[in-house]
Amino acid sequence: MNCRDIRETISACVDGEASPEEAALVRGHLASCGRCRVLERQMRAVGAGVRQVRGSVPDGFREAVFARLDAEGALPPRKKIFSVSWHWAAVPLAAAAALGFFLLTSREAVRAPVPQGPVTSRVETSAPGAPVPGSRVPGPAVGPAVPPVSPRGNAVALSTEDREMLALLDILEDPAAFDANGDAEGMDLLAPGDSADSPNPPRGGRSGA
Amino acid sequence: MLLFREGSREAFEELFTRHHRAVLRFAWRMTGDPSAAEEAAQEIFLRIARAAPTYRPTAKFTTWMYTVARRATLNYLRDTKEDGEKVPILSEGEGEDGVYPVQLPGPEDRNPEQVVWEAQLTERFRTALGELPEGHRAAFVLNRGDGLSYEEVAQVLGVTVQAVKTRIFRAREMLLSRLSKDVSA
Repeated sequence: MNCRDIRETISACVDGEASPEEAALVRGHLASCGRCRVLERQMRAVGAGVRQVRGSVPDGFREAVFARLDAEGALPPRKKIFSVSWHWAAVPLAAAAALGFFLLTSREAVRAPVPQGPVTSRVETSAPGAPVPGSRVPGPAVGPAVPPVSPRGNAVALSTEDREMLALLDILEDPAAFDANGDAEGMDLLAPGDSADSPNPPRGGRSGA
Repeated sequence: MLLFREGSREAFEELFTRHHRAVLRFAWRMTGDPSAAEEAAQEIFLRIARAAPTYRPTAKFTTWMYTVARRATLNYLRDTKEDGEKVPILSEGEGEDGVYPVQLPGPEDRNPEQVVWEAQLTERFRTALGELPEGHRAAFVLNRGDGLSYEEVAQVLGVTVQAVKTRIFRAREMLLSRLSKDVSA
């Protein structure tokens, strides 16, 4: 192959676009042709030159482009931050609504009417048997009085243990019932660590009274 | 581009951020004038935005973008020719092997005579590149300047790969014939 016929292939080889067969052909020719070796280097130099034509981004180029695009209506409008905030505000708004609903329904539950009828002690201790000695006198109820009832609505029979427990509860509600006989008046109040043979009588106590 | 077609302005802004330098560079190489390059680049982005509704991703986006860019610069060059203006191709900097060392800021101790010689070489290179036929210049710039393969250049220009090969070879021959005194191997 003569020089004139292979020059175009040399150009493609410089650009990395020659096939393996063409590249081998070019290498063989360049090995034996000094003029084409010089030409190959010049071709590389010219190709490298155009890559240095870069220019620079003019000031305000971006603004100018988008101004023209907006003027033409070629771009969709910019999303407003307010619409985005509404989107993100949905979660806290929903939470606030749920909380408000909960509070409203809770108040309605508190305001629920108290069942009308005879007000008795909080705990019906006598049903269905005889009254327990020392039980509180029925008075105004603090909360809704709900006697223990079975799922069928009948009064439940209390065991002896239940009645004792309920009596203790009544004592806790009415401390006066704890010392109905006045026995505590004659008792010594001992501080922790005091003993009966202590040389110093307990302070504030009523020892020997 | 597909997101922009679906109405996302942010997608176009991202597209602009990614490609505006390449578009400006291509327009600069094709028109050879800073103000002309800016005007052509603006036109390129306008065309890209207008073409979004009909955009089909049948090829790489950059290939399509250069197709739009080439048409826009071609129209610009035709318009300026009608006005009788010359469209020189500017160049700056130096080649990788130092054959075209011009206009890049270099060491302060450079030889003033060398700087003058480089400036003269730059001027000759501008003239030579600007005298290439538009089709040859586009093929050469797209391949050597923007790194498109022969096949991609063929898609942009709407010609065969063999035609691209020939155009680039002819562009090289013309440049070398005009710069033969300055280009050393």
